[in-house]
Amino acid sequence: MDKKLTSIGLTLLAILVIFLVLVYVGGNVMGIERLKTGENPLLRFVFVIVGLLIALVIYYLTRQSPAWEVGTRQVVWMAIGAALYAIFSFLFNGTVFVVPSLSQVALRPAIAIPMFFGYAFGPVVGFFTGAVGNMFGDALTGFGLFPQWSVGNGLVGFIAGLPLLFADRKKSMDTVLWVGGVLAVVAAAIWYFNRSLPNMLFFDPANNIFGDATITIFAGASIIVGFVLVLIVRFAFAKNVDVAAAVTWGMLGNLLGIGFAAVSDIWINGYSPAAAIVGEFLPAAGPNLIFAAILVPLFVVAYAGMQRQTGR
Amino acid sequence: MLVTWRYRKRRSLIQWFDPRAWILFYACYLGSTLFFWDLRFLAPLVLVALVVLFTSGVEWREVRRAFLFIIGFILFFSFFTFLTGRGGVEVYKEEHLIRSFQAPFTILGWQPTLNVTIERAVFAVSQWGRIFGIAVMTILIPYTLDPALYGVTFHGLGLPDKIAYAVDLTMRFVPTFGRDFQLTVDAQRARGYELEKVRGGLIAQVRKLAPIMVPVIIHAIMGSEDIIDAMDLRAFGIGPRTWVQTLEYKRRDRILIAVGVVMLVGSLVVVFLGYGGFWVPPALFRMFGISAG
Repeated sequence: MDKKLTSIGLTLLAILVIFLVLVYVGGNVMGIERLKTGENPLLRFVFVIVGLLIALVIYYLTRQSPAWEVGTRQVVWMAIGAALYAIFSFLFNGTVFVVPSLSQVALRPAIAIPMFFGYAFGPVVGFFTGAVGNMFGDALTGFGLFPQWSVGNGLVGFIAGLPLLFADRKKSMDTVLWVGGVLAVVAAAIWYFNRSLPNMLFFDPANNIFGDATITIFAGASIIVGFVLVLIVRFAFAKNVDVAAAVTWGMLGNLLGIGFAAVSDIWINGYSPAAAIVGEFLPAAGPNLIFAAILVPLFVVAYAGMQRQTGR
Repeated sequence: MLVTWRYRKRRSLIQWFDPRAWILFYACYLGSTLFFWDLRFLAPLVLVALVVLFTSGVEWREVRRAFLFIIGFILFFSFFTFLTGRGGVEVYKEEHLIRSFQAPFTILGWQPTLNVTIERAVFAVSQWGRIFGIAVMTILIPYTLDPALYGVTFHGLGLPDKIAYAVDLTMRFVPTFGRDFQLTVDAQRARGYELEKVRGGLIAQVRKLAPIMVPVIIHAIMGSEDIIDAMDLRAFGIGPRTWVQTLEYKRRDRILIAVGVVMLVGSLVVVFLGYGGFWVPPALFRMFGISAG
């Protein structure tokens, strides 16, 4: 391992340990209220480090792969991906631009951008697109910064770019489908047994709903709907490995990346695990899967057409 | 063609400092603001944002659209927080009712009720302070940071060359793609596409977003080839990057960074000591004749 990576990894690890000790000793042993888990800005940064460590570990284990190369093209694609994600996040945050929406599903189709950029240009481009794009998008909207959600979005693009590490994309797709299927079923089951929990991501002032209403059956089951759509795309495009792999890996990226951000709120905001899954994960990740299944294939096909046309 | 942010050289407090020092101060400000819900601590932070705004040299006509949007957003957000107490359950446990308003009608058996409580009102003001401070400080950055210095600024903050340049390009591309998006929407509208009237089920609706998203994304990727060629021709990434313009910290920059760090560390200490959480002025309880507790 090169010296630079070792020092970055160790620094991140050291900071993580310091934060955890602070939270444990300060919060649990000394009883300092602001160090206990709950609404705690400090822990946001811990989860940023955890997310970065996950990416670093995967990089370290596969560092010989050309997928990690960062040259001129990757630098430009990173910037383009992040800027596009920021612009579309800003526009589809539903405040400037009337976005078609259904029931309690707040549409955020821009999530297809880090998935596509990750798949087409590699995990580094995907991570940068998701993380920096989300940060700029939030800043443009004036939301402030939620670093653990930015890293979660980064992981969406990062994981979508991992098929470049596999020699046999078809085989890896099947494994990913199984893992994704299990995660989707588990999440849907958690919703089924906790249907009375509020949906913390949804606000509909016109109907006097401010995140205190339970999620609808459609929103609860959207993760299954999305997974079924991914399955359909996987088998409908069995001969077009690019489309099938982009959607399948995008699905896994969405489940793990958004899952990471939502689960981190168990510690950061003091939510119960069920509340984090039902109130945050499902309303975000379920519709995202539907966008992945519909928009990512369109992007991949359009990009392939552009490649044929330009010869690049 | 690249579109740029409306930066120009101004006589202003922000531009008096090195952009690296300003970004560091901004990061400290952001961190400090996120720690507090207590109006006594948020008020000085809002004051800092106002001082920065009024000494920025940015004219109203330049930032009118951005500010009208963000003011509308903040008022909307704070007002509905006041009406509903949304988000407040995380920071206060008990509410003291000032007055309850009930609508004289029902909607499908549900009677709209507005409970005005002391905690909701104070929480809405606290939230306004947090969002307003962060929004003002954030909006001013593109208007006051010289685009020619983006790369050298982020490089100077410790980012590796390539990442610094990627962040530089991201900031440059945002207004360009915003313009491209608007052009695409206009072009599609000229062809009869009405985004606001997209109908159908969820899947049909999402598919209908493609005529907007696909052209913008593919056009951006196609355009990237010219930029890549230009960078390759200048041997980008072959060796350590040098920058035409250099930045040097002056005494005032070091003072600004020190002030930012003291503010952040001070905020941390205050928070560790158990202060800075949600606070309701006791005078409000007396004003409404409610006993606190």
